[in-house]
Amino acid sequence: MNRYLYLCITPESLISSMLPPEEFGSYMAVGTRKQSRGQVIFFEVDQNVANHLIPWDYVNVRCVPKDDGTPKSSVYLSIYRVLESVPLNALLSLYLVTDDGKTLELKKQDYQPREETKTHLHLYQELCPVTPLVASSLPPAKYLKYMTDNSLTVAYLPKLLFVELTLDKLADNPESGSAEHLPYSNIGHLRDCLMTLSDEKEKNKKTVNRYFNGTLLYRTLKNGFFVGSKDELLYYPYPSMAELEDKHYEFWRSI
Amino acid sequence: MVSLPGASNFEIVAIWIVLAIAFIGLAYALLLRKQVLKHDKGNEKMQQVWGGIREGAEAYLHRQLKTIIPLIIVFTVILFFSVYIVKPSEGASLRFHNYSEDQIKLIVGFGRAIAFILGASFSLMVGQFGMRMAVQGNVRVASAANRSFAEALKIAYRTGTITGMLTDGLGLLGGTVIFMIFGTASPDALLGFGFGGTLLALFMRVGGGIYTKAADVGADLVGKVEAGLPEDDERNAAVVADLVGDNVGDCAGMAADIFESYEVTIVSSLILGVAMYATPGLPSYHQLMWIIFPLLVRGIGVCSSIIGTYLVKGSKNDKEGNAMKSINKGFYTSAAISIIAFAFISHFYMHEWRAFFSVVVGILLAIILDEITKHFTDGHFRPVREIAKNSKTGSATLLLKGLGYGFEEAVWQTLVIALTILAAVLIYWGQPAVSVLYGVAMTGIGMLTLTGNNVAMDAFGPIADNANGIGELSGMDKNARKIMDHLDSTGNTTKAITKGVAIGSAVIAAVSLFGSFLTDVGSVQTQLGVVASKVISNTGIRISVPTVFIGFLIGGVVPWLFSSLTLNAVTRAAGLIVNEVRRQLHIPGVIERRVKPDYQNAVDICTVAAQRELIPLALIAVLSPILIGIFLGIEALGGFLAGVILSGQMLAVFMAGSGGAWDNAKKMIEDGLYGGKNSDAHKAAVVGDTVGDPLKDTAGPALNPMIKVINLVSLLCAPVLVAYHQTDAGMITTAIICAVIIAGSVMFSKRGGFKSKPFEE
Repeated sequence: MNRYLYLCITPESLISSMLPPEEFGSYMAVGTRKQSRGQVIFFEVDQNVANHLIPWDYVNVRCVPKDDGTPKSSVYLSIYRVLESVPLNALLSLYLVTDDGKTLELKKQDYQPREETKTHLHLYQELCPVTPLVASSLPPAKYLKYMTDNSLTVAYLPKLLFVELTLDKLADNPESGSAEHLPYSNIGHLRDCLMTLSDEKEKNKKTVNRYFNGTLLYRTLKNGFFVGSKDELLYYPYPSMAELEDKHYEFWRSI
Repeated sequence: MVSLPGASNFEIVAIWIVLAIAFIGLAYALLLRKQVLKHDKGNEKMQQVWGGIREGAEAYLHRQLKTIIPLIIVFTVILFFSVYIVKPSEGASLRFHNYSEDQIKLIVGFGRAIAFILGASFSLMVGQFGMRMAVQGNVRVASAANRSFAEALKIAYRTGTITGMLTDGLGLLGGTVIFMIFGTASPDALLGFGFGGTLLALFMRVGGGIYTKAADVGADLVGKVEAGLPEDDERNAAVVADLVGDNVGDCAGMAADIFESYEVTIVSSLILGVAMYATPGLPSYHQLMWIIFPLLVRGIGVCSSIIGTYLVKGSKNDKEGNAMKSINKGFYTSAAISIIAFAFISHFYMHEWRAFFSVVVGILLAIILDEITKHFTDGHFRPVREIAKNSKTGSATLLLKGLGYGFEEAVWQTLVIALTILAAVLIYWGQPAVSVLYGVAMTGIGMLTLTGNNVAMDAFGPIADNANGIGELSGMDKNARKIMDHLDSTGNTTKAITKGVAIGSAVIAAVSLFGSFLTDVGSVQTQLGVVASKVISNTGIRISVPTVFIGFLIGGVVPWLFSSLTLNAVTRAAGLIVNEVRRQLHIPGVIERRVKPDYQNAVDICTVAAQRELIPLALIAVLSPILIGIFLGIEALGGFLAGVILSGQMLAVFMAGSGGAWDNAKKMIEDGLYGGKNSDAHKAAVVGDTVGDPLKDTAGPALNPMIKVINLVSLLCAPVLVAYHQTDAGMITTAIICAVIIAGSVMFSKRGGFKSKPFEE
């Protein structure tokens, strides 16, 4: 049986498993004997690149088939500052799992920044290592750089995983743009945050919500997931709803 | 066989043709059955899932039969002896003029008892055969979805049509045979026929409603909310009970419900037709056309339904989204054929157009009620969108908005029904009161002309839903799932639409029966020598008389009591399912899919819980009019009936409307509005749906047969109440017994049994 290495984001941990990604996702979401459940987001990690992070002696003893011959589902190897320690080039596909265990694989692609108006605003859900919901006037690449570059900010992060969420018409017109189907229900507060960014040009980010409640609304993701540090960025594009319905029906039906 | 003094050759032949049409309807059902059954049942996994549903359905049907049969025997005996308390009608003396009075009593007594058994059996057959066919059809639809959308649609709709044609064929057969044997005495026997069908429908509706929502709510509360399992997940022990429940509630319950409306409208139109036949002053006095026309209309309806339903099929190139269009095409084709044929009959046979206009008003009423229901419960229209939008501010605003629209729908539906009755008044302007009541009855006949189509549309819902469940549980591929998702979604719309027709037809049928009640009471009073100025058909129901007003008030509260008890029953039964699913999820291996849950246990819990509530609720419906009639008098009983009809209709529409709207608002959010699943909006919508589900599928639908049971019992016992004084020892004893049984039934129903503790403790 093969062994896989996963960097799980919910919660942040490094896990060795004998389950392939889809089965691992389903197991983590709904399959554990303890009946823990919920969405799961995880990366598959290249074991060769991240070899130095794996305590092989421990893995060879613990991550083995069970007595009945079934594969071992999960052996936790690390639960603290994991993203920071995993090299970016070790990150393979990103997997999103719904709370009923349907898994979607996202593959890396080069990120092509779009041209934006100066007033265009963004909403980012940071996922690891911190989890605030943040409104910002910075596009994704610049936002990542701002958050991870110690020359730009004192409170920087070594690495950051975040996803951009939809803002509907609020992105260009926070005061009176229509605000349907948004990932945050307190629209009045969201407008206030965005208007602050529009009015105070020196401000480029504003926290909307301090804590992530652990459930990402997959229908409200805008363009994809970003992970990186400073100028080094990995981009995992998220398919459109039409593409999801067409090519990933089971996942689409579950979200 | 046909004994119709004064009937023309055309009328004799026409009656035989109507009888033949009834058989053609049944033969068409058999043909469709053969067509459906020749399709394959899919792979082993699908058949395994299907086997669980089939076993659950069979268990429910057997248990229901065992519960109902003793009560049927009791009522058969009561109905037989009823003719010895009050002598048969004048029509019976006219029909059997060669026999002595004792012999007539015996004939009518037997006739009524057998008609009761016939009505009950037919209703039972419609429900049981229809449900069995739905179960046979669902796995075949799932299998056909692997091949094409067109084939899946055809099988699903044709399976539903079998139930529709059984309703049509058996309803027409029963009414026609009784009419052919009893002629002008047919109202005496038809009361038994109608009562049999109505009582069974009450059982099927109440039992089915409790079963389906206990399973659904129980499965959702633990499976989805606690354990986070998806809909129709194999690890949820209540998943099969939930699928069986869809058939029990929406197929068996609904079919029996519409069947009894179908029966009751023919009963009241024939009673009023006989009254028209015997009403001096009418241009066609002593002509049989008033009695024969309703049967001809029904015959035409069966033919047009056969043609219309057969047209429902998707072409091979059909993509998703055409199921509703195809179903509508069949419906409107049937409507057009019917109207043209009615005009033909009116011109060449009736030589007058009043009855024609009444029937057409009925068809229009069905279409308008469809549209109103659609407007308030379909996600394409403003109300549901508004309700969904209010989910953004939480469950409280969502619930309030849904309540508001539910109330509004009740207003519009009631106004439309009032306008329909007004139309009957205008059509028969200047004619005796009995003609107006006949017009209302013909509106009901018109409304149910397309019963075949309506029942087919309704049964289509659970068939598509079950097929989707089988697809989910057996892991079918995505293209097949897409087809079944689409059919399921179309089925949700058709189910909601036919609920509106079921409620509307129940009210029109009840109003017709109310008219028959006035006519019957008036004629018995005249027979007993009551002075003309005091006969009820002349005085009317005087709401200013205190006892009548008391009757009106009590009648108004009966539907509320009934709804309260049915909702309590669902809560209690759902509690048992919650505990069972939770218990089974803790069995080692179930959550890991290594051990299969015991689905049958959940099915048994639902079956037992649903049957336990049947008898007390039926007793309340049957005995309350007797109690009121004895204590407050016959006129107050009229007030009581008015109260039941008004309050019952509005409550039923409100519950069906709000429940349907909350359900579809949740579906819109699940399709991606306001963040989709797991959003705060979705959580609010789930609350709305959970509240609305038992309203629209249990309490609301149970009111339709309840209204008609009360009306029919009033009609049956009215002559006794007129003939005997309230101070008679027998009457006082009967009243006391009724009061004790009703109190006991309420107590039993509130506690879920005399000894068991309520679930809430």
